[in-house]
Amino acid sequence: MEISLLLQTVQEWKTWTGSCSSAMGVLLSLSSSQTAGMGGGGAVELIDFSVSQVVEELRRLIDFYEKETGERSSFLALALSSRKNLCVHPEVSSLRFGKEVDGKCHSLTASYIRAQRHSDSSVQTCRFYEEFDALGRQVPLPAGIYNLDDLKSFGRRRGWCPYYLARYSILHANVVVYSYHYLLDPKIADLVSKELAKKSVVVFDEAHNIDNVCIDSMSVNITRRTLDRTQSNIETLQNTIQRRLVEGLKEANVARETDVYLSNPVLPDEILQEAVPGSIRSAEHFVGFLKRLLEYLKSRLRVQHVVQESPPQFLKDAFEKVCIDRKPLRFCAERLRSLLRTLEIADIADFSAVTLISNFATLVSTYSKGFTIIIEPFEDRTPSIANPILHFSCMDSSIAIKPVFERFQTVIITSGTLSPLDIYPKILDFRPVTMASFTMTLARACLCPLPRSSSPLFFSSPVFTSFLFLSAVIRNYGNLLLEMSSVVPDGIVAFFTSYQYMENIVASWYEQGILENIQRNKLIFIETQDAAETSMALEKYQEACENGRGAILLSVARGKVSEGIDFVHHFGRAVIMFGVPYVYTQSRLLKARLEYLRDQFQIRENDFLTFDAMRHAAQCVGRVIRGKTDYGLMIFADKRYARADKRGKLPRWIQEHITDSSLNLTIDETEDQLGLSLLTLDQLQSEEMLKKIAQIAHQI
Amino acid sequence: MATSSEEVLLVVKRVRQKKQDGALYLMAERVAWAPEGKDRFSVSHLYADIRCQKISPDGKSKIQLQLVLHTGETTNFHFTSESSAMKDRDAAKDLLQQLLPKFKRKANKELEEKNRMLQEDPLLFQLYKDLVVSQVISAEEFWANRVSMNSVDHSLTNSKQEVGISAAFLADVRPQTDGCNGLRYNLTSDIIESIFRTYPAVKQKYGENVPHNLTEKEFWTRFFQSHYFHRDRISTGSQDLFAECGKLDEQGLKSMVGQGVRNSMVDLTSLEDKSLDEGYGISSGPSTSSHNKTLKENSNAAIIKRFNHHSAMVLATGLRKQDAQNEQNGETSSTDGNSKDSDFFQPSVKKVKLQEAIEYADLEQENGRKPVALNLKKSDRYSHGPTPVQCQQYATSQDIINSVNCIRHEIADYTPRLTQVLSSSTASTAIAALSPGGVLMQGGTQQAINQMVPNDTQCELKHLYVAAGELLRHFWSCFPVNTPFLEEKVVKMRSNLERFQVTKLCPFQEKMQRQYLSTNLTGHLEEMLQTAYNKFHAWQTRRMLRKT
Repeated sequence: MEISLLLQTVQEWKTWTGSCSSAMGVLLSLSSSQTAGMGGGGAVELIDFSVSQVVEELRRLIDFYEKETGERSSFLALALSSRKNLCVHPEVSSLRFGKEVDGKCHSLTASYIRAQRHSDSSVQTCRFYEEFDALGRQVPLPAGIYNLDDLKSFGRRRGWCPYYLARYSILHANVVVYSYHYLLDPKIADLVSKELAKKSVVVFDEAHNIDNVCIDSMSVNITRRTLDRTQSNIETLQNTIQRRLVEGLKEANVARETDVYLSNPVLPDEILQEAVPGSIRSAEHFVGFLKRLLEYLKSRLRVQHVVQESPPQFLKDAFEKVCIDRKPLRFCAERLRSLLRTLEIADIADFSAVTLISNFATLVSTYSKGFTIIIEPFEDRTPSIANPILHFSCMDSSIAIKPVFERFQTVIITSGTLSPLDIYPKILDFRPVTMASFTMTLARACLCPLPRSSSPLFFSSPVFTSFLFLSAVIRNYGNLLLEMSSVVPDGIVAFFTSYQYMENIVASWYEQGILENIQRNKLIFIETQDAAETSMALEKYQEACENGRGAILLSVARGKVSEGIDFVHHFGRAVIMFGVPYVYTQSRLLKARLEYLRDQFQIRENDFLTFDAMRHAAQCVGRVIRGKTDYGLMIFADKRYARADKRGKLPRWIQEHITDSSLNLTIDETEDQLGLSLLTLDQLQSEEMLKKIAQIAHQI
Repeated sequence: MATSSEEVLLVVKRVRQKKQDGALYLMAERVAWAPEGKDRFSVSHLYADIRCQKISPDGKSKIQLQLVLHTGETTNFHFTSESSAMKDRDAAKDLLQQLLPKFKRKANKELEEKNRMLQEDPLLFQLYKDLVVSQVISAEEFWANRVSMNSVDHSLTNSKQEVGISAAFLADVRPQTDGCNGLRYNLTSDIIESIFRTYPAVKQKYGENVPHNLTEKEFWTRFFQSHYFHRDRISTGSQDLFAECGKLDEQGLKSMVGQGVRNSMVDLTSLEDKSLDEGYGISSGPSTSSHNKTLKENSNAAIIKRFNHHSAMVLATGLRKQDAQNEQNGETSSTDGNSKDSDFFQPSVKKVKLQEAIEYADLEQENGRKPVALNLKKSDRYSHGPTPVQCQQYATSQDIINSVNCIRHEIADYTPRLTQVLSSSTASTAIAALSPGGVLMQGGTQQAINQMVPNDTQCELKHLYVAAGELLRHFWSCFPVNTPFLEEKVVKMRSNLERFQVTKLCPFQEKMQRQYLSTNLTGHLEEMLQTAYNKFHAWQTRRMLRKT
């Protein structure tokens, strides 16, 4: 069977049945013919909703198998999410924020609280967890497909806590679907994914952003506010220690699964197996040590100019200034964990600041390569306002994903927008066994990159600066949107390169009266930085599309909408990408990372920036097409898209449909194309028709 | 002086029309003007015919009132009384303002309907141009059987469906500079209604302040001056009448956001499964220091907010009615079901959305509805198109029966005479000659016709066909002629056809001849007309016979 040979593969495909479930389908068919050779397959997803979606697709797949083979399969698949999504406790689940839910849950289920309850029945505990603890582990979860809601209703029926049930069931499930933070972030992976079998197949779906997730999970930002809160945390710790000293401190040896379990921010093999050094072994000493560290950080944040240094430099400086050694620093996170456990502090949320600092200490003393420290005394845009931030930034995405590659035999990285494929092995530092880019059969030409011919060539380098705000460009964009709004039915989604840019454009469109003209055709909704507001706007947008009014959604590449929301069928008949979504290149973090990439992986800055911009552009425009029956217009409104280096970096399924004739169209020509592709869409199922259309297009 | 027994609502003396003095009469159903000293109205318009009225601006020396009709004609009235011209005009204006809307609805509905039909159907529009505008038939005739066809099904929907609000209603009041450093806004009752429906807060203000504190005009002036109208201005003073409205709106937006979204698919807040704790991650998040934003950025954010709110409100006006209905339904159902528990209710919505998301129409076994199969009685006619019908005399049914009998007999008596068949070689040459490309099949010049004839002529011919077809349809629909009305109509239609032939077809024919074309393009048209004439003739002679 081929599957055992597959090692680490990268794939790009835009199948209509969801790439993840297709991958899973292949895997399952292989695994069923092998005699249960696979343990749990960790299928890994990004977003809550798509988790549910994958599980539903899986359910259909299994149903299909059962129908075809006539056997009842003993297949167990389940979705796993945070407590917030799985809790059924009436009080706890009503809380809105994940942090609150976690905190409340801890305060009801921590082992010492439960121990207290034995002596004092007035102490509240969670009956769902109690039930689960008493009975839930005896019988494994019956075979079947469990979505989040299924888990919840199952838990409610039995009176068991779905969250712990799911976590326990990972051990014997065939397929587990969860967000890939659970596997990549060492802080969480340690908790959740430790027990996955080596033979498991790991599928990273929607993995186009995987390098950023890796980096995010290893990076820390420290502001003055964090330090202030740390200060109060440390004071609380000190007071508690003094009070508890009277009662006598005892180390809780056995950590229960429900306990506050601060995991180490570093990767498993980096954790020292030695004993905690003597200088921080006693609680008072450790608190003193933390104080010293805090003071040192405070002094560092008092800088007047930007400082950039490597971890060894930082350590050296710390040693010289306040005599903090490297070794105790490495044990910081570990020691804090045991301290918090000893002090029986339930609500971990309160101690997030001191946790952050100790994690930072551990990270900075563990990794000397691949990280950088940047201290900025103020934000670039507001140089007059002091807002010092210490960025401890990971630059090497391969660090976080390395244990995954080492541990699991088969890793599949897949997404609709992974082009160009060869950059991923480089930045994630692995050797792929297979790389494949699949194309798709679209029923029609879906693409229309539209560089505005009248717009001046306004970019010499991919740098986001203020000369983007040329009013002529803005007006051209406005006219494009206006024209589109008058000819495209139902929904149009427009993506801008950044919030700031969008705000400015919207303001000038308002002044120029373009927005009002657009309103004659469609309603306008705009993404804001507030998630709740945006959700409302989105819902109204869909309503407007549904009741036939039609609407335009102005949104931002890299924003939440572009990452998570699909605009299927009439929700998105056209998508317009205004500009190339380059990342803000003036940021020092990015500069540092680019430098690192160039030195370590020989990736040129420009290549990486273009790659990054194009994957986001593809991500944005890919939102509109879902199935063969779906159709939508993709417009790249920037001349630079026509260049070979940009075009070449678009996914194959888009590239294939860009013909030279569709480049450099003006608005009028676009409408011709549009008329063609929209009018005849429903009839356009056959290749033959496509050819005819192409002929007509040539004539035009 | 009023000749009719109509109720006269208002009489204004000293009104000039076309430089003639006279008096203006506003009656129950029409507005009329009679020149001085005569007892006959020289101008009379039904209210239903009037599209709108316009008045001269306050500063002008002439005080005038203009009526614009649906046809586009205008009539001006000049109020000349020295002392009370303004008052007179306003009185007339106010009364008209009350009266017009009543009639507008009725007239509009029909007109709109017709307009809509014309706009939706370019073919019909062309026909309309060909027949009505060139005065072959009158507009009433043209609409006579069309509107009745549609009125049935539309009357049902029309009564219920309420017109939504254009999202750009505020854009329609674009100010115009009036030359002397001022702005003029044109408000119509429609726009005012839109504003009220979209912004209930403004309506409330209006109710509170007009007419006790402010006149209507002052109110709207203030409205347009306020930050509320100019979305990029940020509310500063609290003296502004509309400051409160802005606040109310903000509250409304907040409560909308607070309600959350029903469709968990678009709920961005729950989208992220495990977000990193605060402080982790590479980006420091949206700048936490919102207070140090510049004024400009704030105003930009305000615009975005207000656009979202505006769109939501506009959308809500359309849905409000539905919601009210749904709520009623919902209430009845919830009383017996009593399961409004959000926790149980939520998953079902989610499930439905999930199902939608994973179902793919093209992967389903059956593709839903089967397309309607074309039921062809004569498939060869469908594939060959209409063949030119030879000019033929109409056979009576007796003739047909006779010939059928005759054929039947012949078939019954048929015996093959095998000795007299063609030789095989002759037969095969005959077949070869008759197959496409053979000697006898080369004459087909049919495909050449669309290359010979220029496009515009083709187009013209097409229009002629459509028009002729329409007329003929009218003509043939009269048969069988069994009522006096139909009799009258059939005669009229025949004259229409003749007129059509004279005014449209003949010029076209001449043009063809003048140009170069030898092919008889209009032959078929003429044949069709001829057939109709024949029929008419036959019908007429039979009628004469019956009469005598």
